[in-house]
Amino acid sequence: MKVIIIGAGAIGTHLADLFSKIKQDIVIIDDDEDKLERIQADYDLMTIHSSSSTPIQVLKDAGVKRADLFIAVTRDENLNLSLCVLAKGLGARQTVAKVENAEFLDPMVTHAFNTAGISSIIYPDNLAALDIINGLKLTWVRQRWEVHGGLLTLLDIKVSENCKILNQPFKDIFTHDSPYHVVAIKRGASTIIPSGGDMLRTGDYVYFMTTREFVPSLKHIMGKDDETEVKNVFIIGGGKTAVRVVNMLPQGMTAKIFENDTRRCEQLIDLVDTSRVMVINADGRSVANLMEENIKSAQAFIALTGNAEANILACITAKQLGVSKTIAMIENMDYMDIAGNVDIGTIINKQALTASHIYQLLLKGDVRNMRNLMTVNADVAEFTARPGSRITHKKVSDLNFPGEAELGGLVRDGKGMLVNGDTQISAGDTVVVFCHGTDIGQIEKYFI
Amino acid sequence: MFNRRLIFKISGTLLWIEAAFMTLSLVMALYYGESDVKAFAASIVITALAGTGLRLLGRHATSALTRRDAYLLVTIVWVLFTAFGMLPFLIGGYIHGVTNAFFETMSGLTTTGATIIDKVEGLPHGVLFWRSLTQWIGGLGIVFFTIAIIPSFVGGSIKIFAAEATGPIKSKMHPRLTTTAKALWGVYLLLTVLCATGFFLFGMNPFDAVNYAMTITATGGFATHDASTGYFHTPAIDYTAIVFMFLSGVSFVMLYSALFKGKIKQLLKNTEFRLYSILALASTILIVYFLLRYNDYTLSHAIRIALFQVVSFLTTTGMFNEDAAQWHHITWVILSLCMFFGGCAGSTAGGFKCARGVIALKVLSNEIRHMLHPKALLPVKVNGSTVHSQGQITLMAFFLAYILLCFTAYFIMILAGVDSTNSITIALSCGSNVGPTLGLEIGPTMSWSILPAGVKWILSALMLMGRLEIFTVLVVFTPSFWKDH
Repeated sequence: MKVIIIGAGAIGTHLADLFSKIKQDIVIIDDDEDKLERIQADYDLMTIHSSSSTPIQVLKDAGVKRADLFIAVTRDENLNLSLCVLAKGLGARQTVAKVENAEFLDPMVTHAFNTAGISSIIYPDNLAALDIINGLKLTWVRQRWEVHGGLLTLLDIKVSENCKILNQPFKDIFTHDSPYHVVAIKRGASTIIPSGGDMLRTGDYVYFMTTREFVPSLKHIMGKDDETEVKNVFIIGGGKTAVRVVNMLPQGMTAKIFENDTRRCEQLIDLVDTSRVMVINADGRSVANLMEENIKSAQAFIALTGNAEANILACITAKQLGVSKTIAMIENMDYMDIAGNVDIGTIINKQALTASHIYQLLLKGDVRNMRNLMTVNADVAEFTARPGSRITHKKVSDLNFPGEAELGGLVRDGKGMLVNGDTQISAGDTVVVFCHGTDIGQIEKYFI
Repeated sequence: MFNRRLIFKISGTLLWIEAAFMTLSLVMALYYGESDVKAFAASIVITALAGTGLRLLGRHATSALTRRDAYLLVTIVWVLFTAFGMLPFLIGGYIHGVTNAFFETMSGLTTTGATIIDKVEGLPHGVLFWRSLTQWIGGLGIVFFTIAIIPSFVGGSIKIFAAEATGPIKSKMHPRLTTTAKALWGVYLLLTVLCATGFFLFGMNPFDAVNYAMTITATGGFATHDASTGYFHTPAIDYTAIVFMFLSGVSFVMLYSALFKGKIKQLLKNTEFRLYSILALASTILIVYFLLRYNDYTLSHAIRIALFQVVSFLTTTGMFNEDAAQWHHITWVILSLCMFFGGCAGSTAGGFKCARGVIALKVLSNEIRHMLHPKALLPVKVNGSTVHSQGQITLMAFFLAYILLCFTAYFIMILAGVDSTNSITIALSCGSNVGPTLGLEIGPTMSWSILPAGVKWILSALMLMGRLEIFTVLVVFTPSFWKDH
């Protein structure tokens, strides 16, 4: 398959990383030769310098005529949109444009762009905000991923000392029909796909697959009963992500946004619902300012400034001041591991989120929903088994499924259930697969 | 530095229009064949001649209108209209003395509705009609009326519109000013016709129905009977009056979109409309309570008269169906509060306006919140849009000017020997263009003829300032207005 990416920034680089792993033909175009050089050194792909020719000639040279996926992720949203329309006209099958404005998410606007030839519109701040809001709804979970509107849930939980099943081998506590399924454990820098002999230790990050009705009992097992519901949220940094977050805030939650820049504050009060959101013109990194606004009353703290280091430090400070849920936005992938180790709760990387969102578009229509979990270097995907596909031939234990992949659960007739060795998958089932370090295309073969 | 010729020209045109309105009254006088025919004929001739004279002075006028011209023009036009509008009263001898006639006409045009005539029932029909007509013209504004019928009149200048409009209006409803004016006058005319039809169906004779309809939709309050609507003793008439007074106190732009564009939900969600409705409802409930407690009224009667009086004071109409002087004094305080707030911006009502009330109350509550959150930016949002600090300051300055004016008038009246309760309510009544006064010396149903002449002149000025929202008039009396730079 052929993928053309315009813009070799952070999102473009992430995309190159994801697509080159599954061995696709990638062409990346940018006007910065240094960036292209760096990306070419790291990944197996072709680069084209945009000023090497006229704009349309560049697209033709890149092979837009036979492109399956055309992705425009430059800083300039108007350029992205117009390039996508052009690419579609020149023969690209599917086009994706990144925008910087929530107005484009309006169904009417999206429809207008679909007609013009843009298949998908992606607003990174919206993706980040969705993730943050999910985190606020379940504070004891670091990350949550829902299948079929929550029928099945994948939860990333940090194992604390209060965990009730600490240091007990899984084969002793979980039977075949347990409503929980451990799909992966992140311990230190390594990822474990667990077998019956593995066990949980303090400090692990564990990925549980479960059904909706067992989420509360899982909370109890993990010793997270003390976690309170989020009512008040402190946000530092009043950028676009912050605006998106407060505008999607669930009912009953209130927020305070700390922003240093007075002029930005004046814009903010027009952008947010000031009956629920208070805009404070002060530096949110200062403990005195946080105390003055009574940080003790906050259950969640979200650091969204443009500076990853500041965000991490602010979250550590907030933890020490007693805020149970902290979320930090970082842009540098190198911090991903460190941030996990210093216990700052959830980490949001807008660029990686965007890239993984685009990534799933490449996979066939049967893959409903796909997500790249950066911390464990794994993908979770939702496949629908076609009639006669290989996965429906035998019981799961007899399938000889690749060892790095785990079948987490399935949705059949509107009911979510977990998968074990005895499960027989039938055509039409939606199956959730967790795969670590394997090509997701390999897994896809079982379903078609 | 002023465009004198243009001011002459426009004033001249407006006098012609006034002469045309007088002609309507003349027709009425001829129809009834009463003693006022000569008075109207003479007034028409004088007014038309004066108009012609001004038009001649204003030949070859250029159409450039500065902000100063607009303020001066609007003030002059209202004074001129009053000066010529009093001629029928003076020439016919129905009112004695320039002071009284000027006061009566000003009270009419500014839709105040305070009268110095002790017995209106003896007046000829033409004169009564002229009184009601002055209120009806003044309701939406003299210049604004002319904009609707003569599109080229001020060249679509929003400055004049802003100088004469009631309440803080900045945006036009339609790209063309004259279309906006036509739409709003259309709403006004529709309200008047519906109101008159209602009155007629519930038993008024056609003449009374038209007169009451005009003064009610103008939220003026002049009546053709000494007992006002109380003369009829008919609940149906009272409730019709309540409905139309209430509607006339709603912004006409909102009424237009609710009536012709079906945006009723938008009207109900509007913050200003909500404050307006809450004020009406809460005041009525309180007054009903006090009436039941201190007067021997039945509940249905108490509700009817309390609602009527509250809506009448809140919309600054000033009609009455019962003598509020007999009520417990606490009800006077509630009614005074209603007088102060007034109706919605962009209606025919006077007062501080609910739009300003909403903002002022938000500024106040923000100030208190600010004590607890000193670094927070607390915006004042009205219907989703932010009122920036300059707007807030203007509003607070208006509030101060309003209070200072009322207190000055209060001070002077006390000095002139008027009863103190009367003094304060008269000041409020004139500043808000309401009409009746509450007090021991002059009751709400009585005329103001016993006031000293000097006080009447001051009150005339106060009524004009109230109608033109203070600053338009006040700025004309500042030295810097007349300096060249």
